[in-house]
Amino acid sequence: MRCLTPSLLRRFWGLLPQYLSVGPSQSPNLSPKQSSLRQSCSARPGLLTAPDVVSYWQKVFEKNGIPEARESSEYIVSFVLGAKTFQSLDSEKLRAPLTAVQQEQIQQLSCKRLERMPVQYVLGEWDFQNLTLKMRPPVFIPRPETEDLISLVVEEESRKCEVKNSAFSVAVPPPVILEIGCGSGAIALSLLCKIPQSRVLAVDKEEAAVDLTRENVHRLQLQGRIHVLHHNVSYGSAKHLLPWGPMDFIVSNPPYVFHEDMASLDAEILRYEDLDALDGGDDGMRVIKTILTLAPTLLKDSGSVFLEVDPRHPAMVEDWLTAQPDLFLTLRAVHKDFCGKPRFLHIQKQSR
Amino acid sequence: MGLLLRALRAARSCRAIALPAFNYEEVSGRGGAAAVRPQQPRRGLSARPRLDELFAIPSLSRLLKARVQGEARPELAARIQRLRDKERELQDTRELALQDESEDLRKLAEREIVSCEEEIAELKHQIVLLLIPSEETDNSDLVMEVTAGVGGQEAMLFTSEIFDMYRRYAAYKKWKFEILEYFPSEIGGLRHAVASIAGLDAYKYMKFEGGVHRVQRVPKTEKQGRIHTSTMTVAILPQPTEMELKINPKDLRIETKRASGAGGQHVNTTDSAVRIVHIPTGVTSECQQERSQIRNKEKAMQMLCAKLYNIKLEEENKKRNSARKIQIGTKGRSEKIRTYNFPQDRITDHRISRSVHHTECFMLGEEMLDEMIKTLKEYADYESLMEIISEHEK
Repeated sequence: MRCLTPSLLRRFWGLLPQYLSVGPSQSPNLSPKQSSLRQSCSARPGLLTAPDVVSYWQKVFEKNGIPEARESSEYIVSFVLGAKTFQSLDSEKLRAPLTAVQQEQIQQLSCKRLERMPVQYVLGEWDFQNLTLKMRPPVFIPRPETEDLISLVVEEESRKCEVKNSAFSVAVPPPVILEIGCGSGAIALSLLCKIPQSRVLAVDKEEAAVDLTRENVHRLQLQGRIHVLHHNVSYGSAKHLLPWGPMDFIVSNPPYVFHEDMASLDAEILRYEDLDALDGGDDGMRVIKTILTLAPTLLKDSGSVFLEVDPRHPAMVEDWLTAQPDLFLTLRAVHKDFCGKPRFLHIQKQSR
Repeated sequence: MGLLLRALRAARSCRAIALPAFNYEEVSGRGGAAAVRPQQPRRGLSARPRLDELFAIPSLSRLLKARVQGEARPELAARIQRLRDKERELQDTRELALQDESEDLRKLAEREIVSCEEEIAELKHQIVLLLIPSEETDNSDLVMEVTAGVGGQEAMLFTSEIFDMYRRYAAYKKWKFEILEYFPSEIGGLRHAVASIAGLDAYKYMKFEGGVHRVQRVPKTEKQGRIHTSTMTVAILPQPTEMELKINPKDLRIETKRASGAGGQHVNTTDSAVRIVHIPTGVTSECQQERSQIRNKEKAMQMLCAKLYNIKLEEENKKRNSARKIQIGTKGRSEKIRTYNFPQDRITDHRISRSVHHTECFMLGEEMLDEMIKTLKEYADYESLMEIISEHEK
């Protein structure tokens, strides 16, 4: 706030009718002198446009050390104006003065952001692949890397279809997929949309995640092909999961952060996200090992596990699998993410 | 070449009559049956120089002969054969009718002549349509790029209006319209924008819109009330299929804001902008329209492909030199194709010297724009037909 020039400041008073009512933890407090300036100017509501408001909140965020100040401000303003990104606002919307209601909404959302709440929770929704999904704390927010995990599974499925079609020229039955740790349902729902007639069993140990996945299922009208199960996966899980049939794929973005790294994560994550969805234990492999131990029992012959992991994991998983020959699992491929980091594992059950 | 020029001249003189009111010209005025012949509900090419005139050109018969002997498409060869049969039949019937003395039989013969002539006209029309070469890109979807030209803020305002016109036109034609890039100016104008347009015949129609569009009016920003002239440019790039353009993933560099740092679960950032560089050519594209990063990547990729494909097509086209008035691609892009004159409420397409009124209605992007594009398409079809015919001039 202190960084604003008096003239700019004056333009924004109309925007901030309740700013003083914000709790004491919000740092950009107004000095008594400025607040009287506000009162003297409030009779003249300024004609503020979206770009004005974006740059105002950007400055507030910057002053308060909020990361991605510009992006946060743009996403919030665009959301209130009914668009997904600032770049997708057309020239008309950019020019039109904001209504008092819109300004107030922007202020309320921005105040949440000032508390380091992730933008995805602030808006209550975010996009993943072609889907817009509901987001709610503390359910893990899907990261952009994971969008590539979907593409890998889809590619493998179409590759399998091609091979089978050319070999037997019969229709391939649609795949059955298990997702472990479904969170908001992003992976499960994207796969349902991308692979026609596929069926998914999505499990999560947190009730909040199960509830959110179910809400997203209903929002996208996909309830016919998915079962969402509240279940904490352990070595004894097979009997709970097998009733849904042997699986063609097990897909997971399991907690894989090394425990020692947890403390260095950003405030957005530490304060708001369910840390159990991130903390993979001392070597980040606690849940990875559980999944791989269950996989041979749950998978069909030649079925595949697709995992998102830490870049240190591919070598570790390979060693671990070599030490567990009775699992009959082979590391088929390591795929890089869009930053070139080894991020995805394709592990296949050997056919006997 | 002489023939082409002659044909162009003929078309130009014809246009003056044919275009303003979209006359549904009759196909032929020969013979006593003209009075009873129904008007052909077709316009433009089928009628421009009348079909009979067209078919009387010796090089056309040479062309048809060549097509029948060569590897003509079976549907074309069959129609050419049928046309010959029908023409013979018509001649025979005419002779018989002359010899016939019975009133009833003569009437019967006349009816036969009429139906024969109708079928001949229809066959000629179909043959002409089959002769018009289709561009390999005609069935493509496309990427449309708009850029403000000379005229500062006024040019940007005009660019925004033209962009909106095509957005509405896409809706009118039931095409999918998706914005890939959008760079607005301060006062509600548009500096530059890119959109993908997909749907039936989208490129076939939109390809005629590439070029410089000029506006003449008193800008909102002008205080003295003077009329300014400003411009904007439209580029229409066909969208290649994977078959038409192969890109090696190794030639691409994908840039995102997440590139530095641990990535994955360790960070939760929201900047989803993607920039793609095609390393061998240095061509780049970027997108930040979407909250999903993979969607931004897909859109940036779409733009990149269209740009690279366009470069490839331009190189191929360099070899073919054409004298056509309606140019598609780079040759046409720098050309002033249309003027929107607001004080006179008139829009003129300079390629076909056609003017229409009601600027506001035109810019709704509905019937009026559609009619204009159809006229251009017919004219371009006609030009390419004449070009082919002239190749058989000996």
